[in-house]
Amino acid sequence: MAKSRLLPLGEPWKALAPDGGLRRGSTVLVQAQPGSGGLSLALSLVTEASTLGHWVAVVGVDDPGVVAITDLGVDLRRVLFVPRPRGAWAESAADLLDGVDLLVVRPPSRPSHGVARRLMDRVRERGTVLIMLCEPGAPWPLPVDLSFDITHARWATSSRLDARYLTVRMGGRGAAQRSGEHVVVLPNRKGRAAAS
Amino acid sequence: MERLLAVWIETLGEEKPDGSSLRDYLVVLDALTVLCPFTEPVRLGLLVLPVRGPSRFFGGEEAVLHAVRQSVRDLVGCEPSLGVADGLFCAELAARAGVVVRPGETDSFRRAQPLSVLGRKDLTTTCRRLGLHTMGSFADLERARVAERFSTSVLQLHRVARGESSELGGQRDPRLAKRLRNLRGDDGLADEQIGFFGQRGAGDDRAQAAAYRVRDRLGADAVVVASLRGGRVPEDRATLVPFGSPASAVVDDAPWPGQFRAPAPAMTLQHRVAVQLHDEHGEQISMGSRGLLSATPASLLFSSQARREVVWHAGPWPLVERWWALNRRRAHLQVVLVTGEAVLLAAELSRWWVVGIYD
Repeated sequence: MAKSRLLPLGEPWKALAPDGGLRRGSTVLVQAQPGSGGLSLALSLVTEASTLGHWVAVVGVDDPGVVAITDLGVDLRRVLFVPRPRGAWAESAADLLDGVDLLVVRPPSRPSHGVARRLMDRVRERGTVLIMLCEPGAPWPLPVDLSFDITHARWATSSRLDARYLTVRMGGRGAAQRSGEHVVVLPNRKGRAAAS
Repeated sequence: MERLLAVWIETLGEEKPDGSSLRDYLVVLDALTVLCPFTEPVRLGLLVLPVRGPSRFFGGEEAVLHAVRQSVRDLVGCEPSLGVADGLFCAELAARAGVVVRPGETDSFRRAQPLSVLGRKDLTTTCRRLGLHTMGSFADLERARVAERFSTSVLQLHRVARGESSELGGQRDPRLAKRLRNLRGDDGLADEQIGFFGQRGAGDDRAQAAAYRVRDRLGADAVVVASLRGGRVPEDRATLVPFGSPASAVVDDAPWPGQFRAPAPAMTLQHRVAVQLHDEHGEQISMGSRGLLSATPASLLFSSQARREVVWHAGPWPLVERWWALNRRRAHLQVVLVTGEAVLLAAELSRWWVVGIYD
């Protein structure tokens, strides 16, 4: 079974990520204040892979906005949600790692060092991509392969909400060549992610 | 919990050396799928189908039972045992007893069962010494007491006994789907990531197995799948159903007149979170009968006493369905808070609540 080592990214990330995709076995961190676009950003990272037939699981997002997720381009037929894992978020995540290609996790509490270590080891072993959604107040305790830090969010409005401009600082191990700040539109008028 | 018709065919319940059980099972499955497209293979000898839809079509549950019995008789020449109850666990018990549990009576049906139906000898023995003989008496034990005395797997059984979990771990055979597919011979694309054109691939099986593991850990409703249906506003269009329930994975994305346009909030709250919307003088804002706001919104108050300044708003957009019911007249309002977050609010008269957060 020839597995590609790289899972594809959609617009605008494929032009911004160091390899143009998400490396299997890697850990990605999305860090944002609650309500400022972190969830949309995390989900926008899985759209292309989802469209191409990969499975996605979303753990700890208690009220997923199904319409928005569809608009982003995620194929709902291959998404498993575990909205309220309560205390067992890490165990649920580990269970799902064996079964899906991309795993989006929002830890309900501050992740401990040991839990983070075990999860990342498991991710590397299974070749899944782990996307963590954390708040700056409860950060992921270990260095990650790729990180997205939302530093600013601004809405463009007309007679309604039109689009949101996110300023994102990218970084991570081995990502030096493309790290830095980028402004992306997420969501745009069609609910998708786009370059600004 | 969904009302299910369970079909138990005892002669097909055991593997035969020539594989005839599996073949006959597949024949029955295909025939019942014609009667009801949501027929699910559970494990060898056992199938379930949601009974509400077909009974509307056939004109009553009795008629569905008759049709199912007749087709099993015709196909494999033996008498199936049929039962109807809520949830997989009780439906199977009903089928083994050959009873149709009336709507609303599944609880008392389950409580009256002997503890041995949970299939754990050690639990049955221990409970008998404690004077507990039925599912009901076991269910009445406090969760903490059960946790003290037994392992976590028994806690899961306790959830089943209480009706909080609709099925027993191990009721389903996770390998069955794959075996049936192999038998049909349409497993040619056994690589990862298929599922596109309706076939299932290895990736789908892995995902399904993982979902069952999480369910075993957290309970039957812990894993959900989402689908879209027609409707105007985001909170009405999302459907989240427990993984494995028959009516899942339908995406109805047909155009809908007056639909709320993108962008939609990335979080849509399942339960109403009440808020108050105030004008600059701290007066509550209400929505008039013509769908107009009584004043310009200046701040949003959450029940937690948190107060956020509103820097921008758009709407209200009245939802014109059910216009005849005045108190059901709902309108939506988008607001941007001083902190940069955008929130979708809904109002009925002067009551406001958060529908979604544009996270």
